[in-house]
Amino acid sequence: MAQEDSEKEEVENVEPETGKVSAAVPRRSIWSGSITIGLVNVPVNLFSMIYDKGIAFHFLHKIDGQPLKYVKMCTKDDKIVPWNEVTRGYEVSKNEYITLEKSELDAVKPESDNRIRISKFVDYFSVDPIYFDKTYALMPKKSKEAYTLLLRALEKKNKAGAGRITLRTKEYPALLHAYKGTLVLTILRYAYDVVNPQDFEDIQNLKEPEKTELDMAIKIIGDLAGDFDIAEFEDTYLKRVQELISQKVKGEKIHIEKPREVEAKSLMVALRETLKQLEQK
Amino acid sequence: MAEELKGLTKVDLKNLDKILYPDVKVTKGQFIEYYIRMAPKMLPIMKDRPLVLTRYPDGVKGEKLGFFEKNAPMGTPEWVKTKTIYSSASKRDVHYIVCNDLDTLIWLANLATLEIHMPFSTIDDLDKPDFLFFDIDPEPPATLSDAAEVSLQLKDKLVSLGLTPFIKTSGKKGFHVVIPIVPDLDFKETRAFVHEVGIDLAKENELVVSEFKDTKKPGKVFADYLQNSPMRTMVVPYSLRPTPEATVSAPLEWSEVKKGINPSDFNIFNEVKRKDDPWKIIFEKRCKLEI
Repeated sequence: MAQEDSEKEEVENVEPETGKVSAAVPRRSIWSGSITIGLVNVPVNLFSMIYDKGIAFHFLHKIDGQPLKYVKMCTKDDKIVPWNEVTRGYEVSKNEYITLEKSELDAVKPESDNRIRISKFVDYFSVDPIYFDKTYALMPKKSKEAYTLLLRALEKKNKAGAGRITLRTKEYPALLHAYKGTLVLTILRYAYDVVNPQDFEDIQNLKEPEKTELDMAIKIIGDLAGDFDIAEFEDTYLKRVQELISQKVKGEKIHIEKPREVEAKSLMVALRETLKQLEQK
Repeated sequence: MAEELKGLTKVDLKNLDKILYPDVKVTKGQFIEYYIRMAPKMLPIMKDRPLVLTRYPDGVKGEKLGFFEKNAPMGTPEWVKTKTIYSSASKRDVHYIVCNDLDTLIWLANLATLEIHMPFSTIDDLDKPDFLFFDIDPEPPATLSDAAEVSLQLKDKLVSLGLTPFIKTSGKKGFHVVIPIVPDLDFKETRAFVHEVGIDLAKENELVVSEFKDTKKPGKVFADYLQNSPMRTMVVPYSLRPTPEATVSAPLEWSEVKKGINPSDFNIFNEVKRKDDPWKIIFEKRCKLEI
């Protein structure tokens, strides 16, 4: 939730000299703990570094323009089910469920021990990028000395620390490395969560191309070779929707009906009178 | 304005202009105001009782039904007092809300808690009732007028036994008659006593039935004793009811109980204007029941 809020207020950072664009710095850390290497602890705060920018829409009622909400409905009688009557079911076989109470699930939750446990140091480029998930920025907490020491050592040796972290309720493999003079942590995917493309049938028994055709293709690649610049890319659909919105903002707006002042006022009068009566007792 | 309101209550009041009673156009703001104004009369009676709530987040209209809530809902603030009672029926702990202060009552109203129900004992000892309860329930074509006649007869009988009965409309079609007692009996004993009185009434007046199996006999008035049991409840005095007219379960003076009385005479609009409180001295009239 906190992340959503900060995303809304977020503005882009543009470096004045280079014109390079980056996302705004988040205000709140999402995790706090220590990097542990053997007996050494480096206290750090973890911040989001990756955004998935999009435009959030709210569903409104076409007739009166008021916001809609989701309700849970029983599939048997279409009646709205209140939260205290909701439980979790796991489908064992078609239409057969076992139920799990929140307390039962809580009991098996992994406790985050607030540690990033580094077990060995590896060459950063030896890790296949296919396993890279989100990256987080680590900021020094309390003492900056231990942080700087670890950062400079990693830069010097050009190595990354491999280990694990528990975020919320899930344990992840993770890679600690130096990036732009900062310690960052990249969460990795588990091997069992990544498909081996060789397992697709479509890729089996490919016929090798003719040498002349291959030479031609290689030449085209050579001609189009260049340096990669991420700033060349932007979401054109997002941009068009933003333009559409700014046009509409100038025009007619739908207002959400806020409580009328009158109501707040008569409530205040009632509250003052009742509080006075209760005091007298 | 909203800021000033915050200085007076801990509750973040929401959706104040949502209509809860469409037939009489009562907004949630008016609804909350009603409970704020009635608080001085309601709080002393609700004090230290685990409550059962009926919430109507979508208001009172046609098919939209409220839902019962015993367990403190998700997001219950920590300043709201609760009482945990093990339910042997559902084999789990139930965390009941206990409403001893104005903010808790406002918080309940803000959750669109339309009806508040209370048991006949307090958390001091849930097995020792401090009220005897008669539910005087007319079955059509019997009316509130018939129930009034039966209630007055019941009152005479109780007074002759040296007891001090109090009465309120149920807010629907009947009356609730309660007697404050010293809590030194158990529910089995109070239930048996209330049942005995009902049997006596039925002997004297053919309008009255005293047995559950006869409750649906048309034109009869049932003197219901069955609620005198642990964690069985009645709607609290001054609670609203989910009727189209926004009726209230209204405490009355015995002199007001007469033929021609109409349940919709007691509603959200006129109950706030009433200055006196017929139940004000209820706990001063506690008597020791000898059986």
